[in-house]
Amino acid sequence: MVCHLSRLPLAASIASLAVFLAHPAFAETVTLGIGTQDTTTNTVTAGVVIRQLHLLEKYLPKDGKYANIKFELDWQNFTSGPPVTNAMMANKLQIGMMGDYPLIVNGFTFESNPESKSRLIGIAAYSLSGSGNGIVVHKDSPYYDLADLEGKLVSVPFGSAAHGMVLKAMQDHGYPADFFQLVSQTPEVGSTNLQEKKIDAHADFVPFGELLPFRGFARKIFDGVETNLPTFHGIVVRTDFAEKYPEVVVAYLKAVIAANKWLRDDPKLAAEKIQEWTGISKEVVYIFMGPSGNMTTDPTIKSALIDAAGADVKVLQSLGRMKEFDPNKWVDDSYIRKAFAEMKLDYGAQLGSTKNYEISGEDAFCKKPITDPRRAGEVWVDDVGILAFASAACTLGAYADYKAKGKKINVTYVFDTTRGIKLFADQAFFAVGNGDVAPFLLKKDAEAFAAKTGGKVLSFDEAVKAAVNGGKT
Amino acid sequence: MLSSPERNAQAATIADTDTPPVVTTSAADPSFAALAARWYRLNRGRLRALAIGIVSLLAFLMVWHLLTTYRVVLFVRFVNVPSPLAVYASLDKAIHDPKFLLHILLSCRRILIGFSFAAIVAVPLGLIMGRFKLAHEVIFPVAEVLRPIPAIAWVPMAIMLWPTNEQSIVFITFLGSFFPILVNTLHGMSLVDPVLVRAAQCLGARERSIFREVYFPASLPHIFTGLTVGMGVAWVSLIAAEMISGQYGIGYFTWEAYSLVQYPDIALGMIAIGVLGLGSSLIIRGVGQLVMPWRST
Repeated sequence: MVCHLSRLPLAASIASLAVFLAHPAFAETVTLGIGTQDTTTNTVTAGVVIRQLHLLEKYLPKDGKYANIKFELDWQNFTSGPPVTNAMMANKLQIGMMGDYPLIVNGFTFESNPESKSRLIGIAAYSLSGSGNGIVVHKDSPYYDLADLEGKLVSVPFGSAAHGMVLKAMQDHGYPADFFQLVSQTPEVGSTNLQEKKIDAHADFVPFGELLPFRGFARKIFDGVETNLPTFHGIVVRTDFAEKYPEVVVAYLKAVIAANKWLRDDPKLAAEKIQEWTGISKEVVYIFMGPSGNMTTDPTIKSALIDAAGADVKVLQSLGRMKEFDPNKWVDDSYIRKAFAEMKLDYGAQLGSTKNYEISGEDAFCKKPITDPRRAGEVWVDDVGILAFASAACTLGAYADYKAKGKKINVTYVFDTTRGIKLFADQAFFAVGNGDVAPFLLKKDAEAFAAKTGGKVLSFDEAVKAAVNGGKT
Repeated sequence: MLSSPERNAQAATIADTDTPPVVTTSAADPSFAALAARWYRLNRGRLRALAIGIVSLLAFLMVWHLLTTYRVVLFVRFVNVPSPLAVYASLDKAIHDPKFLLHILLSCRRILIGFSFAAIVAVPLGLIMGRFKLAHEVIFPVAEVLRPIPAIAWVPMAIMLWPTNEQSIVFITFLGSFFPILVNTLHGMSLVDPVLVRAAQCLGARERSIFREVYFPASLPHIFTGLTVGMGVAWVSLIAAEMISGQYGIGYFTWEAYSLVQYPDIALGMIAIGVLGLGSSLIIRGVGQLVMPWRST
C-alpha cells in the first residue's frame, strides 16, 4: 500500500497521480485544506460546525473515481480573511471563507494567478439590511450617535466588511473623507485600544459589535442596518481543485446545508457547542445565529448579495485598491445547485426566499401566542432554557418575575422597534409610555419615539420597573 | 597604560620609519594622478568590497526577476511572488505619495527613540551587572525570562501599559534592542582580563577609574556588537509594533498591504525595512570606528 502524506498538496497530487496511473489499485491521499474563521461567528456553519461534527466526512464521495482516493482534511483557523486568501494563493488551502470585502479581494487577487482562479460557490450567512457590522464606543464615553464622532479617532480593520460599512455610512451622511480620523486596527488591537480608551470608537465585523458590549466595556452606537447595504460571508474555492474534484466541492456544500439544519434544530445547544469550540460567548453566538437573529444562514447565492458585492467593488476602486473586477463572472452556483438537487431540496425556492427562522410559540408569561417575532423578546434563564415572549413589555415582566424567583438570568434579548434587529436588553434604550415599552438601539431613536408618544426614555433597569407597574413610568 | 599623546608620538615614529619612500614621492609630485593612485592603493580593499557588493545585489535582483518572470516551481514556488518590476512600479507610486515619506520618517523616529533608550538603559545596566554579582543575580533571571518573548506577543500588554500608542510602539522597539545590547555588554564584561583590573588596583585606581579606564574600554567592542544587533532587532520588531499604530509607519504600511493582499506593496515594505536597517547598522559601525580608532579594520 503506497500512501503519500505530503503537506504540499500539489507535489502530493502529482506524485500520487503518477502512482495512481501506474497502479490503479493503490489508494491515493489528497489533502483538502479548508481555511475557516472560527471566531467570526457567521461563518461557523461553513467551518467549525462541519469540522467538529465530521459532516464533510459523511458526504465525501466514496465510489467511482473516488474509490481509491482518501481525502485528508486540513482545517486551518484564522481571525480574518486576508491570511486565508494568502494561503489559498499558495495552494495550502483549496476552500476558504470570509466576509464580503475580503472575498472580493480574494477573487481579484486570483485574477493574476496563472494556476487557478477563485470562485464564490456559496454563502455562509448574510444580513440583507447590513447588520453584523457595527461601531462601538467605550461605555463611559459621551458619544451616542455617528455625528458625535466628528474629528474623533475611529479604528477599523482596513479591507474588512466593517471598513465597507464605515465608508458607506460616511457616504450616506455626506461626511467628507476626513470626518473621522480613520485608522486601521485588527479586532484584537482595536478591542484592547477601546478598552483602554486610546481610541474613541472601533468599527468591526461579527462578532465584535456585540461581543465587546457583552464583555461590558463597550456600547454600540451604529449598526450596519443603518447603511441598508447587504453584508455576507461566503465560501470560495480554487478552480483547479474544483474542476478536478467537483463532487468533493458538492459534498462540502452538502455539509454546509446539514450544519445549517443542525443549528436551526436546536439553536440553544448549537450556541453552547459553538462557545465550547470557538470561545465566543453563547449569548453572543445566539444573537446572530438564533431564531430571528441578526444573521441568516442560507447557502444560496442571491442576486442582492452579488449586487452588494458590485457596490463594494466600486468602493475599493475609488480607494485605488482594485482595478476592473466583475463579481457576476466570479460567482459559480453550479455546485450549490447540485448539492440542493442531490439532497432533494428546491434551490429556486430557497434562492427566492429571504426569510430567516423566527421566534414562535406561546408566551407563558403574558399567556398569548407570539405573532410578531420582531416585536418579541427572549430571556435565557440558566438551567431552564431560552424562553420567548410576545412583546418587549412581556419580556421585561418575565425577566422581573424570574429575577424575583431567584433564578440566574444569562441574558435578555429584545428587538429594535423600527429596525427589527435583536438587541441585548440591558444595552437598549426604552421608550416607555401609554402602557407600551419600545426598545431601541440608539438613544436618539428612543427619544424621537418617546416625544411622539408622550413617553419617557428609560434604561433597562428603569424599564423593568415600569413593565412591572404595567407600563407606567 | 600609555596616554594618548605618547601613543600618537609612537605611532608617528613607526609611520616615519616604515614608509619613507611613499612620503617623499607624494611630497615631490603632488599631481592629481599620484593622489588618485595613492587613494586607490589605500582604499583598494573597500572598493573591491563595494564592487562585489553591487554585483551581488544585481545578481540577486536578476535571479529574483528570472524566478518570478518564468514563475519557477522548484519545490519553492515563485508562481505568485511579485516580480522586481512590479515592486518597482509600487515604489514609483509610493515615492510620489508624500504619505510614504511620512511612513518612513515616523518609523525612523520610533526606532531612534526606542533604540536610544535601550542603549542608555542596557549598557550601564550591563556594566553594573558585570561588575557586581548581586545585581547580576537579581536582574539576570528576570531578563532571561523576558528576553525570548517575541515582539508580537507584547502588543496587547504594550497597549495597556502606556498612555499613548506612540509610547507603546516605541516600547516594543525598545524591547527589541534592549536584550541584545544587555547580553553583549555582559559578555564583554565577562571577558575583561582580570590581570588588567588587578594592575589598575595595584596602581591605586579607585572603582570609578577602573570602570572608566579598564572595564568600559575593554567591553566597548562587545557593546558595539550589541548595539548593531540591537538595532537590527528593533527593525525586526517594527511590524508588530506598528500594528498598534493603525495609520503611519513602514511596518504599518507593510501590514496594511497584507490586509488588502497587495503583494508588491508587501515586498516594497519589506525591502524598505531592510534598506533602513542596513543604513542604521552602517551608522552604528561608523560611530564604533570613531569611538574605537584602535580597532579600525
